[in-house]
Amino acid sequence: MTQGAPRRRVVILGGGTAGWMTAAALVRLLPHACTVRLVESADIGIVGVGEATLPHLRTFVEMLGLDEAEFMRATQATFKLGIEFRDFGRPGDRYLHPFGSFGTELGGVHFHHYWLRLRAEGRQDDLFAYSIANVMAAANRFAPPSADPDSPLSTYSYAYQFDATLFAPYLRDYCVARGVGRIEGRVVDVERDPATGDIAALRLESGERIEGDLFVDCSGFVGLLIGRALEAEWEDWSHWLPCDRAVAMPCASPPGPVEPYTRATAMSAGWRWRIPLQHRVGNGYVYSSAHISDEAAADALVAAVEGEPMAAPRLLRFRAGRRRRSWVRNVVSVGLASGFLEPLESTSIYLAQAAIMRLVELFPNPAICDADRDEFNRLVDFEYDRIRDFLILHYHATTRDDSSFWNHVRTMDVPDSLAERMDLFRRAGRIAKYSEGLFFEPSWLAVYLGQGVVPEGWDQRADNIATDALGAAMDRLRARIAGAVAPMPDHKQFLAARAAA
Amino acid sequence: MAVVGAGIVGLSAALAFARALPGAEVTLVDLPVDPAALADRMPGALPTIHRFHAAIGIDEPDLVRRGIALHHLGTRFENWSADGAPWFHAYGDHGVPAGPAAFHILWARARRRGKARPFDRYAAGAALAEAGKFVHPSADPNSPLASFLYGLRFDPDLYRERLRSAADALPIRWAKGMVAAVGRRADGGVAALVLDGGQRIEADLFIDCAGPSAPVRSKLDERFESWADALPCDRLLIGRQADVGPPLPADVVTALADGWRRLSGFPGGAIRVEAITGEREGGVALRPGCRPEPWLSNVLAVGDAAVAVDPLENANLHLAHSAILRALELLPGRDCHPLELREYNRRTEQETRGVRDFLALHYLRSGRRDGRFWQGLAQRPVPSSLAHMLEQFAARGRLPFREEESFDRHSWLAVLLGMGLLPDREDPIAGAVGDEEAEAAMERHARTLATLPARLPTYPDYLARMVRAPATSARPGT
Repeated sequence: MTQGAPRRRVVILGGGTAGWMTAAALVRLLPHACTVRLVESADIGIVGVGEATLPHLRTFVEMLGLDEAEFMRATQATFKLGIEFRDFGRPGDRYLHPFGSFGTELGGVHFHHYWLRLRAEGRQDDLFAYSIANVMAAANRFAPPSADPDSPLSTYSYAYQFDATLFAPYLRDYCVARGVGRIEGRVVDVERDPATGDIAALRLESGERIEGDLFVDCSGFVGLLIGRALEAEWEDWSHWLPCDRAVAMPCASPPGPVEPYTRATAMSAGWRWRIPLQHRVGNGYVYSSAHISDEAAADALVAAVEGEPMAAPRLLRFRAGRRRRSWVRNVVSVGLASGFLEPLESTSIYLAQAAIMRLVELFPNPAICDADRDEFNRLVDFEYDRIRDFLILHYHATTRDDSSFWNHVRTMDVPDSLAERMDLFRRAGRIAKYSEGLFFEPSWLAVYLGQGVVPEGWDQRADNIATDALGAAMDRLRARIAGAVAPMPDHKQFLAARAAA
Repeated sequence: MAVVGAGIVGLSAALAFARALPGAEVTLVDLPVDPAALADRMPGALPTIHRFHAAIGIDEPDLVRRGIALHHLGTRFENWSADGAPWFHAYGDHGVPAGPAAFHILWARARRRGKARPFDRYAAGAALAEAGKFVHPSADPNSPLASFLYGLRFDPDLYRERLRSAADALPIRWAKGMVAAVGRRADGGVAALVLDGGQRIEADLFIDCAGPSAPVRSKLDERFESWADALPCDRLLIGRQADVGPPLPADVVTALADGWRRLSGFPGGAIRVEAITGEREGGVALRPGCRPEPWLSNVLAVGDAAVAVDPLENANLHLAHSAILRALELLPGRDCHPLELREYNRRTEQETRGVRDFLALHYLRSGRRDGRFWQGLAQRPVPSSLAHMLEQFAARGRLPFREEESFDRHSWLAVLLGMGLLPDREDPIAGAVGDEEAEAAMERHARTLATLPARLPTYPDYLARMVRAPATSARPGT
């Protein structure tokens, strides 16, 4: 910051996960450059269904300097090795989208090409057996990855499953202890600067006036500042992602193992999540209201959960899409205020985190300028658009024809960007290469093969090794993975020893 | 498949394809190397060459022992800044991060306070090069010598001979002659080449490595995207000069009134490359730019047939190697399906534009005004992708991520900060680390690097040791 420039006054609206994550990052990284106040109202609940996270959250937890075990205890967290998808490609199917890779590269050629070749030669073998995260998940075992690149234990990562209603309060304590001003109250009016059109202040029910230089809108779907006040346009994606409601209901943990993974099970008009935490299991049914009534969806959820319900079913409404611009004037939207993608791949908290880190990277210096806003919006759009295509793939790559919902998503037109990617994969197992963004080759590979998109060919270089030698090498790899997983502790035991609440 | 051109690029392509696809019939058409084919004629290679050598089974210590190649830590630029102060583009890390702020952000602040040494003093590669020393990077991640990279320099004639003998060990067929005619297929692709001796060569895939004229690829279309605005050198002179002393692990580039000169020292003489604008006797014309869709139908252009840039940063052969490996990765079947070609061309375009921008940065933002070559360069239009980068850099020292980048952020920063460009404003994150704390850590790092070379053997001694003790010698740096 330019010497002597005054600290920017940041006002965050909304005390949910996105709001407190924003406050925590700013107070941790830029305490010298800004003051942070957060306005929240006890009357407004938080959505708090973001119970499943991606491995990136670990970077955030580390950046804040949090102790992992303490953080996990405070949020009733469990470890997560991936997401299991059931009945997506067709009823009865299951696969894990693991946080990790498949097999090892050989001669510069990705492992799955060798697997595809031997499969064509008749080897009966599941590619997922070469993902150590998948083998661990299937056995409900967990151990932290290794930093040794020669170990199979270096080929996976992990995330957390936690109680999002506990995460925000945990971060709030962190923030308040570090000087974030917490203001309780409901916003009744938004004052604009008549000269610039920027937002000048929020007026609360109490009459209090909260001035700021930069406002972060974390008010959820409603987007009080970015949407209501500044009328930032919304780009609607519901024609590709028709699910627009969810009904959520936690239940008691059933006896037996605590799975180190989230489960998504296809349902007649959407899908159902199941997230095992330490103290309960989170459940919810994400559905398209055009294809099922709220009552029928709630009934289906209640019928499906395995444990004693711990609350009545709660309804949530949303729309798939994003703001055309997430940062308008002096308002940056983070979390649901900026856009929504259903939690099929646990991306909600990731999207908030990515926006927060971009805001830190492009923090007003000292004034907000167009170039920074444009760059922020370019980066946020890029994240949303990539994830959108990946989610659509889960619906489109299916043979299900057992409901009007699945008939719609199976036959709908998909974005050109996705259609081309799928065609490229179908030909010879190639996955369009990008280095920036969220989901890389192994993720796409998992969903393609897990949902029955099988390439016609493979990289020709995979033919350079004799069948027997290749088969033997693959057997050794399987044995090595099995040998590495066998001594690992049970996930539940590991949790009890490491991070039990 | 048929590879047209048997210079370094054609041989590299033939070797890579023949090794990766033992079932393929590879024919190499030997025609005289085009003097303007820079990827075939330049002596420098980036650190990425190790990956390519691994793919074609070329062993670096063997090249060094035979006196074909020397190591290359980077390039010293002289008179290439507003005040003429020399600077070094060393490959690999510069500085060590402290807290949440990137090293260069803290360095820029310290520089403004008069408390920082030149940026290159914080790079191990530059410290070694300035002392005329070289060792291979340490495998110990905590060593200050762990995080630099090195490329290679070779005598192009000797290197080409080495590739040729490697090719002789593979079932590659040779054909000799100029391309007299190109027979087309009904779908627009190429069916066969007819050489001037009458020989007819049929193939499913033609790889045009014959230099800027691209005798095969140019038959499909003549589109060309000129980069002359961004890359001003239009003439190149290549020569040899007598012994310049003991071999050094780095090159020197000197800005001249009408362009620049690079000297690469070898035992027994140096290779001198001059890139200029205007007329001088004995040069070859250079036409910077690229062919859109280097892979079209069943013809793939590689090397100068696909993209021509001046050799200021030794990117020529790197681009050819990268193209060959990418083509192997995406190699479609005999049908050369447009899907794989589109992915190939998409990634190739990202890569070549990244190199263009990196080179353009050297010319358009050097700060040098002295000499007719340099006058007016600062006023030229900047490619939009580079303009975006410069804008972000100026605002706070941020470097936006780019896909398929050939030069990492350390290289970009070495050039930006070496030429004397500083961010206009400081990234607010810098405030997370105190001035004096950051400056003390920076100074410790620079001192460590500065005292390292004294303990190391001279480069000629190190080379002699490599020759004597082949078994315990080098490992590739990347």
